[in-house]
Amino acid sequence: MRRTRAVEAWTIEPLNRFVVESGARFTLLMTPAGQVLAQHGFTRAVDVMASAALGAAIFSSTGEIARMLGEREFRALNHQGRQYGVFLGALDTDRGKLLVLVVYGSDSSLGLVQLFFDDLAEQLVVAAPVPEVRRGPILAADFERELNESLASLFGR
Amino acid sequence: MTHPYVRLLDQVTRVGGVRGVMLVVADDGLVVAESLMEGIRGGAVAALAASLTRRLAMVTKTSAVGELGFLQLQAEEGTLAIVPAPAGVLVVAVGGSDMNVGLARLEMLRVAEVVR
Amino acid sequence: MAREIQAMADLFERDPGSLVFLELGEELRRTGRLESAVRVALTGLEWHPSLAEAHDLYARILVDIGDLDRARAVWLQVLERHPRHVGALKGLGFLSFWDGDIDTALDRLETALGADPTDHTVVQALMTVRAAVETSAAHAEPAAADPVFGGFEGADDGMLLVSDRGRVLGGRLRGPDGDDVSEAAAAYLSGAAHEAERTARMLGLGAWHWMVAEAVEGNVHVSSPDPDTLLLVVRDRSVPAGRLAVVAERAGHAARSWLGDGHP
Repeated sequence: MRRTRAVEAWTIEPLNRFVVESGARFTLLMTPAGQVLAQHGFTRAVDVMASAALGAAIFSSTGEIARMLGEREFRALNHQGRQYGVFLGALDTDRGKLLVLVVYGSDSSLGLVQLFFDDLAEQLVVAAPVPEVRRGPILAADFERELNESLASLFGR
Repeated sequence: MTHPYVRLLDQVTRVGGVRGVMLVVADDGLVVAESLMEGIRGGAVAALAASLTRRLAMVTKTSAVGELGFLQLQAEEGTLAIVPAPAGVLVVAVGGSDMNVGLARLEMLRVAEVVR
Repeated sequence: MAREIQAMADLFERDPGSLVFLELGEELRRTGRLESAVRVALTGLEWHPSLAEAHDLYARILVDIGDLDRARAVWLQVLERHPRHVGALKGLGFLSFWDGDIDTALDRLETALGADPTDHTVVQALMTVRAAVETSAAHAEPAAADPVFGGFEGADDGMLLVSDRGRVLGGRLRGPDGDDVSEAAAAYLSGAAHEAERTARMLGLGAWHWMVAEAVEGNVHVSSPDPDTLLLVVRDRSVPAGRLAVVAERAGHAARSWLGDGHP
């Protein structure tokens, strides 16, 4: 069975509920920089990393278009394919801005994903902890270690 | 200016017990047009009605009775009625348990004829 | 595909700890390269001993090799840690079917369907097993009166009592050619009832009572005689929805009596 795995435990319950209710096939919860906090449905680390990077890039580039149009930003985007749709939504929490990338199939719909995304956003806002202030610069070694720890959490290694 | 579809939907909202009517894209579960009383979450009605229709269509298909023409969900405190229109659009009405379903069904079928 | 397998193999060689072994092992299995598939799966398991998907892959390869006992043992181990693992439930369902233990096969597959109602391979497997049951029952003995709806008009065609996990408990449904379509309808009914419950709850309509669907060639009535069962009544268009509701109410009463007698 596909499972939800998280680097930050406070995300698991809201994300689990979202996946069950929306019928999403794959879900990634991440920061706008592409750092993954939780995932559901992925079995390969390489897919998680690629999806997170692409999701963050899409959000960033459409943000530029929004600014050109005088919008502060787009809150949600949807790409519809023949078999699958990809939804990318943003929300603000005490943990900072977060992005949710959702892949859904023909047994779900954009309407369902949007409906339960709103619930997910509310629950994450309530559950999000205020982050501790990090002292000093992040060393490359720290980054590598954190990345490996994140992947270990996301895949249960 | 009022969208012409909204004027069309008002034929249904005039039926006793009806609290809201909308046109919904069947595949996406998104609202095309709506005429709702205050407090009804149009987006939720649209998404859930489309999903319910999809599930019931699987049952009617496997039960060998063919394409779905009308669906009614009766609950303790209200009613949801759905008519699939030919153009991939659903006519959806939500009402109280006192909703005149027979009349609402007829008006919804008329709306479905127009939006085909 | 050969090029993709080679690319995955190269990636796996460079980084044997990566999760690419899951896809590589599966592709090797599908293309019949079972020795290579076993090597890849075992290497993956050394790096990821607690990854259920890795054990599931290994068990599927063992089935293809013909080592059913070891495959069963591997899947049982997976279920000990993940009781609702769809791959393990499906695999064990298949093995039970292979052994002729139909009840266990149905039980495993119905649990798998409960864990992931969107998995069409599980629905397909359930329909295959149930069709086999129907065929063997039809050859074994003449049709007996239906235990739930015996005496009801249409008990043999147009009435179905189903568990909330999609298992037929009584009644029968036939297609236009006379084929038994009970299992297929039952498989989709639990999903529809779950959707009805959620819709009514989220729209503030309270508990759902029943649904009626009018279709081109007939009308369908769905209700829940008790919290664990669903009732489907199907009639042609000559029976109006109001009359159908009366038939469904009587059938629901019969179902509740039968369930009250201690039947599952």
